[in-house]
Amino acid sequence: MSDQSLGQGELLAPPASPRREFRPRSSKSSKRWQAVVVTGLVFCALVSVFTTIGIIVMLVVESWGFFADDQIEIWKFLTGTKWTVGQTQGELSYGIWPLLSGTLRITGIAMMIALPMGLISAIYLSEYASKRIRSLLKPTLEILAGIPTVVLGFFAVKFITPYMLEPLGDFKTFNATSAGIAVGILCIPLVTSLAEDALQAVPNRLREGGYGLGATRLEVTLKVVVPAALSGIISAFLLALARAIGETMVVALAAGSTPTLTLDPRMPSQTMTGFIVETFKSESVVPGTLSYFSIYAVAAVLFLITFGITLIGQIIRMKYREVYD
Amino acid sequence: MKDPINEPREYRNDARRKMFSSSFSVTCLLVSSLAIVVLATLLLSIFSTGGGWLSAEMLTASHRENNPEESGIGQAIIGSLVICTICGLAALPIGVGTAIFLEEFKPKNRFLRMLHGLVQLNINNLAGVPSIVYGILGLTAFVYMFGAFSPIRVNDQPDYEIGATYSYQTKTLGGNYVRFPATPKIQPFFEIKQPRQVSSSEGQPFKLNVVSATTDAAEYKDKLEETVILGTKAELTSHNGVESYTTQTLGGTTVFFKAEPTYSQFAKILEPLMVSDPEGNTFELNVLSKSDAIPTNPEVLSKSVFADSPDPTKRSSASIFRENSFFHMHLPFSKSVLSAGLTLALVILPIVIIASQEAIRGVPQTLREAAFGMGATRWQVVRSAVLPSAIPGIMTGAILAMSRAVGEAAPLLAVMGGVLGTTNHLSSLMDKTPVLPVTIFKWAGDENQGFEHLAAAAIIVLLAFLLLMNSVAIFIRYRYEKKLA
Repeated sequence: MSDQSLGQGELLAPPASPRREFRPRSSKSSKRWQAVVVTGLVFCALVSVFTTIGIIVMLVVESWGFFADDQIEIWKFLTGTKWTVGQTQGELSYGIWPLLSGTLRITGIAMMIALPMGLISAIYLSEYASKRIRSLLKPTLEILAGIPTVVLGFFAVKFITPYMLEPLGDFKTFNATSAGIAVGILCIPLVTSLAEDALQAVPNRLREGGYGLGATRLEVTLKVVVPAALSGIISAFLLALARAIGETMVVALAAGSTPTLTLDPRMPSQTMTGFIVETFKSESVVPGTLSYFSIYAVAAVLFLITFGITLIGQIIRMKYREVYD
Repeated sequence: MKDPINEPREYRNDARRKMFSSSFSVTCLLVSSLAIVVLATLLLSIFSTGGGWLSAEMLTASHRENNPEESGIGQAIIGSLVICTICGLAALPIGVGTAIFLEEFKPKNRFLRMLHGLVQLNINNLAGVPSIVYGILGLTAFVYMFGAFSPIRVNDQPDYEIGATYSYQTKTLGGNYVRFPATPKIQPFFEIKQPRQVSSSEGQPFKLNVVSATTDAAEYKDKLEETVILGTKAELTSHNGVESYTTQTLGGTTVFFKAEPTYSQFAKILEPLMVSDPEGNTFELNVLSKSDAIPTNPEVLSKSVFADSPDPTKRSSASIFRENSFFHMHLPFSKSVLSAGLTLALVILPIVIIASQEAIRGVPQTLREAAFGMGATRWQVVRSAVLPSAIPGIMTGAILAMSRAVGEAAPLLAVMGGVLGTTNHLSSLMDKTPVLPVTIFKWAGDENQGFEHLAAAAIIVLLAFLLLMNSVAIFIRYRYEKKLA
């Protein structure tokens, strides 16, 4: 069969060279070319700088539109306990606290789940797990980390609330607890992977020293490894905190659209991000109106908090990192 | 101070200490396995809700209000793919370029070195910015472009536009539509719909304020001199030798602004003219006057209209019609797939940069040194030694970043609004489109219970798509690792 398909000419044809012909270039022209390329690369790098500048300028300028309005006093914005922006009826109140406390409540619940579970998983993966269990746990966490947040929000409102919470007590359809649990689930992989990196960076010498003194594995882990990796663990906590505060789709689906100022985790609680999404969803944003500017004012507060926490996390990681040769 | 020899129990109770240690190990295992339980519960609940709703029709149909049985995600799938393509085309070159700059070109120049440090610090911070903030940035920078251009409204042509052809469309007596080309003209009247720059009769420039008729008069009582009611008509006149529109504000000031040629919303048909039908046939339109007998031949009827006349029952006036070509573009971008793709590109840019940096850092130093030894310039080293061996790592990171982009809902909601379906197919970068995550979000919040199942089915499609992308990334990583070994 192959005898027939292979023609005589094909056998005799010289093999085509897979390589391009080498053409030396003068050093002058390659340096000139390099200058062009570097200029291009600098422009690429500038994009991210301009993104930050864009965010800050935008938030400052447009929030100014909010605070410059005659009806708005910045003091009432920062201390007020009622938020009715975007609602058509009733008196206009624009105190940020209901939204801010909603964010804090949900973040608090999320952190109660994500921090211990994430840290324990990280300790287990780094100090205890056998190779087989590791090869099962690691991909699971990676898949969990890759699940879109809107899917977790759907899970929270259609599964966690009706099947896990409503049998327990008088939970509203939209409540802070289910959103908090879902956000916590979302943060576990983040805490685990960052904390595990920090634990694994602790050199084996320290562990061996501990074992040499007769300590058990638990004692080595809790008294040697965790303290040595503390700066990394805290920065992992802070990054998870920032992530939870900025989380949007879960709270938009599961936490409801009523801004409340309460400590009851069974009540709906709109967050800052939830308010922003609710305003966009209703498609009532007309540039220049008060509810349009209020988005920027709320986003400015959100950005300040998350940016601050991320920055502190980075500083802690850089400054207090235990350096082992 | 306790003496360990005299207080032996606490330190020597080996059995108890070992029991603590092993029980802690079991606790750890249980807690860690919770992640598996959570993942399994999540997948199970979604499959049981939506599995039965997956069908070929559901994958191709588009959203129907209050009719979950016939709704589907056809448009949303295409929309998601298009937006992710735009996002990838924008984010990958810029991200990889930034990573190369940060890793391979540590500059000597003082200004560049400052930029270098700033960029590195900045990227780590940008990775922590919530995606909804990027959405608001996209809305401001791409959709409205910081208000530098007048906003785009339905049925109005934007100030800066290419790729759109305007024509007038009218219905013949036979009931079919015909079109003829439109040319912009200076119109005798101008309807003021948005704030604009004007000048007073003394030549003093200021911004004209526009309020709607229902606005509380108290709000603009101090600014009557600069305010007009929405829809106020300005007349064409000549001001200082320039063709201008003029009108009076509520305070009685006469203001002027320059007249630009525009398309009028309607055109009158008074005499026969060449028209074409949607199939592209060109013929002369037969214009009848009011007193003419109506032709009986359907062939002639389909090419005839009444001349524009005061009698509303017999009037044939043509209205403006816009046809967009595939390269249709305007400024600002408004709520379009281009704005959405660019916004998502900003969201994933830090992820792409960090992943590419790690891939480049993983290339052994010996490769670079060998290339330098051959007399290569720095860029030649990067292009022919560093990049080829870093590409698999960069690709893996890029695919993971893209899979993050596919699932992002918040920025798209901010930039395009909650679009569920469009009447037209996606034809240019300036169109709006529904996307998968936003569709899931809107359906999950719908009061019609059927949409809950449909949302779950859409989630299954989305997860399958993510799984596919991740398998490609794992495949690339696997092949690359095998090659190196």
